[in-house]
Amino acid sequence: MDNKRKTVLHWGLGGGAAILLSLVLTDPYLRSVLTLMAISALLAASLRFVMLMGELNFALAAFAGLGAYAAGYMNTALSVPFVLALPLAGLFTAVASALFGAITLRAKGPYFLLIGFTFTEAVRVVYSKIPALGGTSGMIGIYPPLSLDDWMAGIVVATSVILLLGLFAAERSDFGRILLAIRENENVARSVGVNTYLCKVIAMSCACFVAGVAGGLHAFVNTVISPGDFSYLLAAFALAYVKVGGENYFLGPIVGAVVLVALSHYAIGLGGSEHFLYGGAIIVAVLLMPSGILGAFGKVGPRSVETKVRAARHAV
Amino acid sequence: MQHVIQLGATALQIGAVYILFSLGLTLIFGVMRIVNFVHGHIFAIAALVVASLLPRLVEGGFAAPTAYVLASLAGIGAALGLGALIYFFGFRHFQRDLVGSFILSIGFVLMLDGVLLSLFGGSVRGVPEIFPGTLSVAGAQITMQRLFLCAVAFLMAAILYWALAHTKLGKALRAVAYDHEAAMMVGVPYGRIAFLGFLIASFLAALAGALLAPVTIVSPVIGTDYLIKGFIAVIIGGLGSVPGAILGSFFVACIETVGGYYLDSSYASIAIFTLVIVVLLFWPKGVLGRG
Repeated sequence: MDNKRKTVLHWGLGGGAAILLSLVLTDPYLRSVLTLMAISALLAASLRFVMLMGELNFALAAFAGLGAYAAGYMNTALSVPFVLALPLAGLFTAVASALFGAITLRAKGPYFLLIGFTFTEAVRVVYSKIPALGGTSGMIGIYPPLSLDDWMAGIVVATSVILLLGLFAAERSDFGRILLAIRENENVARSVGVNTYLCKVIAMSCACFVAGVAGGLHAFVNTVISPGDFSYLLAAFALAYVKVGGENYFLGPIVGAVVLVALSHYAIGLGGSEHFLYGGAIIVAVLLMPSGILGAFGKVGPRSVETKVRAARHAV
Repeated sequence: MQHVIQLGATALQIGAVYILFSLGLTLIFGVMRIVNFVHGHIFAIAALVVASLLPRLVEGGFAAPTAYVLASLAGIGAALGLGALIYFFGFRHFQRDLVGSFILSIGFVLMLDGVLLSLFGGSVRGVPEIFPGTLSVAGAQITMQRLFLCAVAFLMAAILYWALAHTKLGKALRAVAYDHEAAMMVGVPYGRIAFLGFLIASFLAALAGALLAPVTIVSPVIGTDYLIKGFIAVIIGGLGSVPGAILGSFFVACIETVGGYYLDSSYASIAIFTLVIVVLLFWPKGVLGRG
């Protein structure tokens, strides 16, 4: 299994380098950019995971918000420690998204997409109506323990690497193949005895676990969250990362997040507008580079199963 | 009783705007099978042009109704120009590609957010009254401006409904929505019909924007609110269905009005969302959707 060893080597090198970088960086600004990149990459990878089965999960913003609020509430009101609050926030989000998915995944394509969009906006209204969650002005004082303060960047990057590895393993497993089969033709998948509905709900739930943890990390890094942080724009930005990086590659969302977050920090420094940059990047990517940066610059990194499926189909 | 009539009148006014908005969304989806998020910005650009031109024209010595008509023409023209541009440089290449076209439309939305904000500024603006006076029906008060809005909106909806059933273009639009390959086989020029459908939908959104500008507070982000409600209306009614869009718009308007009166407008939006979930449980493709 030479291929497998190569994959492990890539992950070890890439993940190790990212964690090392987060530990050696001492400049607080660069550290904050790096943590933002890691969280953005997580959200984008979560979005891409649902795209494997051919659905666009625009409720991503809502679930990242649920994770952030769950982590924040547990930490500030119930004084659950940071180390426990983070996975619990992920679990809470996973359960909530399974319920949401069980209802909405009966619908497909445009309906699922639009329900996610309206859900995101409805959930924001709910936050602003609950005084325990800080209402419109949001929650403040979500601090990680003081002893971990210096290590936050490292913790965020390490958590991201672990979760990304989980998503990667899921994509390469039989379950990942089922998702691709659902995307290609759901009826064929069902005809060979796959419970496609259940698989879709599970996939949604896994992806939203990651989104929930990413939301929780966001809450602890920023220490302040408000309903405005989790508008549908969050999902739109995540889509930009996926699309610009290359949606056919597992590394795509990660590359997209790193490039676009770096670019937007540079543009804001020059007085530009974030929306304009992201919008322009999506349009250019979709019209000129349909397979993203990775697709345009050759076969960098491991190709996903999906591209292999496509290549095989073309060869036939 | 007076309550009920007043609430009914308000629901009718809000519903009229939602109808114009959701008819455009459902038309574009039916003909091109794309979900057009830019629709809200086409609406917003018309409203913004009217709101910024109107006070200047009135100051320049025009009578209010003349100034309003001129400003509306400019607003609708700007919106149609934007629509044509977006179609030619974007959606033309992404017809019947749901994910691709959606991603592209999100790109346009983000970009236009930036453009509108820098062109028109973030501040909200008021517009002078155009048709003064109020009408009293059985004790309920309706301003003339809103009555005008309703009349035009319902007239447009009626014209569209009639045109879809009786004109050659309307029949072609319906044929393409039903089965575009079969339509092409019998000689319907799909590309041209799709472009016309997109323009008609953009015109409806622009008209809604121009009508709404004098009676509401216009800001560059106004489109998103209406976009959400418009999408909810078409989900309830069924994407691609014209009667469904009208039905859904009324549903949303009624809940918003009644909920907003007895509770609070934000609870009304939660109620609307709950309604969508309930509808999806029983009709996964909307009440009148064919899918």
